[in-house]
Amino acid sequence: MKTKKLLAMLLAASLATFSVGAQAQPETAAAKGPRVVTFWSLFTGGDGEFFDAIIDKFNATHTDIQMKTDTVKFDNYYTKLTAALAAGTAPDMVVIHQANLRNYVPNGQLLALDGYLSSMNAPLDDFVAAPLNACKTDGKLYALPLDVHPLIMYANTDLMKKAGITELPKTMDELLSDAKAIEATGNMGIACDNTTAVYKAYTLTRLFFSMIYQQGGTFLTADNSKANFNNEYGIKALTALQDMVNEGVTPKGLDYDTSVNTFKLGEAGFHFNGVWATGTFESAQDLHFTAVPLPGLLGKPAAWTGSHTLAIPADKASDPQLVKDTLDCMLWITAHGEMWAKAGHIPTRTSVQESEAFKAMPYRSGYAAAAASTVAPPDTAAWNEIYGTISDLLEYAVANNTDPKTALASMEKKINEIIATY
Amino acid sequence: MIPGNKNNRDGLIFSLPFLIVFTLFMIYPLMYGLYISFFKYNILGSSTFIGIKNYISMFHDSKFYSSLWHTLEFVLITTPVLLALGFLMALYVNSKSPFRKAGENIFFVPYIFSMTVVSTLWAWLMQKQYGLFNHVIVSLGGKPVGWLTDPKWAMWSVCIATFWWTAGFNMILMSAGIRQISKEIYESAEMDGASYRQQVTKITIPLLMPTISLCLILQVIASFNVFGQVFVMTGGGPYGTTRVLIQYVYETGFQYFKMGYSAAMSYVLFIIILVSSLLLNKLGGKYDNQ
Repeated sequence: MKTKKLLAMLLAASLATFSVGAQAQPETAAAKGPRVVTFWSLFTGGDGEFFDAIIDKFNATHTDIQMKTDTVKFDNYYTKLTAALAAGTAPDMVVIHQANLRNYVPNGQLLALDGYLSSMNAPLDDFVAAPLNACKTDGKLYALPLDVHPLIMYANTDLMKKAGITELPKTMDELLSDAKAIEATGNMGIACDNTTAVYKAYTLTRLFFSMIYQQGGTFLTADNSKANFNNEYGIKALTALQDMVNEGVTPKGLDYDTSVNTFKLGEAGFHFNGVWATGTFESAQDLHFTAVPLPGLLGKPAAWTGSHTLAIPADKASDPQLVKDTLDCMLWITAHGEMWAKAGHIPTRTSVQESEAFKAMPYRSGYAAAAASTVAPPDTAAWNEIYGTISDLLEYAVANNTDPKTALASMEKKINEIIATY
Repeated sequence: MIPGNKNNRDGLIFSLPFLIVFTLFMIYPLMYGLYISFFKYNILGSSTFIGIKNYISMFHDSKFYSSLWHTLEFVLITTPVLLALGFLMALYVNSKSPFRKAGENIFFVPYIFSMTVVSTLWAWLMQKQYGLFNHVIVSLGGKPVGWLTDPKWAMWSVCIATFWWTAGFNMILMSAGIRQISKEIYESAEMDGASYRQQVTKITIPLLMPTISLCLILQVIASFNVFGQVFVMTGGGPYGTTRVLIQYVYETGFQYFKMGYSAAMSYVLFIIILVSSLLLNKLGGKYDNQ
């Protein structure tokens, strides 16, 4: 009997502790001083410092709102974000890649912004149409695009001169022969990662994806229900990737970090990567390079692109002032896209793209023009798994020089299997 | 239980704080994991009951098999080597060598580092173009080795890093076991003219068997749970040749949002670990009563 009483008391005591903890939380809202907008940044690569600079500037120029950041290591970002959304502890503003919006919007995790934005008279028409529309689902806007970051081509101008190359390559054949000329100078022809180490060999996937569209094809069928690359477009694209290794202008087993470093050290002629590497290369001393939109190596220009977007978790709707503050931050950040462009990313607001500050930066205005020929990943929840899987399979096909027809048939089978599970 | 005290009350009350935490954070998640393995479970949205479908699709999933095989590969490589290394280290630190104290520290220090530190360190040492290992090999006139990027080497490289990291733990256990063996046995053996080698094979190893079988079980469980080193050092690459089962569980659950499938795979791994531990325990059981 006594035992039971004691147990009950202990239980009650522990429950009481829990409920006190729960009640203590809202206290911060009543605190005086500037209102706080919290967010997690996923930027830890070369672009992290540029984003921090934007936040610092925001905080320095605002007295009523202050932004508080917490950087999350990119590998774990979506894990942490998903868990936080499920538990209702996500920050006020979240950064989500456009391709990942699809994992959150259909579950009602993100706030539809249309009503709030129109009541604030937000300058939505200042946003470039394509990236803005990519944030819409069923006509409703769930995020604001912070940037677009397509795959581009970097070229070392010193090495080009040394190898006697006067013009940037425009086709795959020109690229390969130029790269061979660079190899002849004792440097790496093309620094394009083709193996997984710390990072997956995503550049292969991004190039393959781009090359399909360059020939007029699509990666998946129009309704995203089947793979659509097991055809001559796919064969040409995969052969091009294998040729870089087979022609001896890209070493086998090159990982992402090495490909970036080799180019940064001025020891590689060409380099394929997203625009985000621009800032890093600019900070390298003695590196003279140019960066251009991905040439239409297999046809017309077309390049894979990603896009960072800013969104608000749905449960923040209970605090309209907070939503308004967060939107203010988002609009301010996008309106100061020239600061973000220092990292290499392309701003999404017309006013920024046309500003003198942006136009004065090297390469960037060229990037902005290229944004017209970029291709965003297909809008399907299966994309993450497709992207990860196709990377492994392309890596395998390049490393083992698999017959393209065989390789594409097994990729198609695998991708169709994946889509069927969603 | 205290002899003569038949009342369980005190024992229960004293263990209650632990039991509450244990139930909340171990038993409940375990059971919940089993529960969601029967669902098409989306952590953020609605879930649908699909019976044992997750378990069935596992048998058609080549990635599941390959990941399971890579885990087994890791277990088969690391378990014997780590036991042998631990034993040799333990012998050394219990020998008459003047450096035995220093050796003990040197052998154990790696174990106190976190997984991330160890993996990042070794990833840099083994980096193909800029790593120290290849720098040495090239300066000796060799060809650079793709430690982490060559499928022939990648799993071994992860294992080598693991040897360096965790062998010290087995050393501590075995060293404690060796110290428990009575000195008199060695003394009388020495008087009878037994060589050091005979002492090790005829006295140390037989009397250390209970500790060795404990180490074996702990090691097998630890090796089955490998994930961090692989994830940081190779990312599962090249092209998935080092992807271990827990990594695949992580990818399906947190990157592809297939929580139910992910939980089902975890349970299969759980059963494999349970069965192999029970088997090993049975095999090692005869040493228990010595």
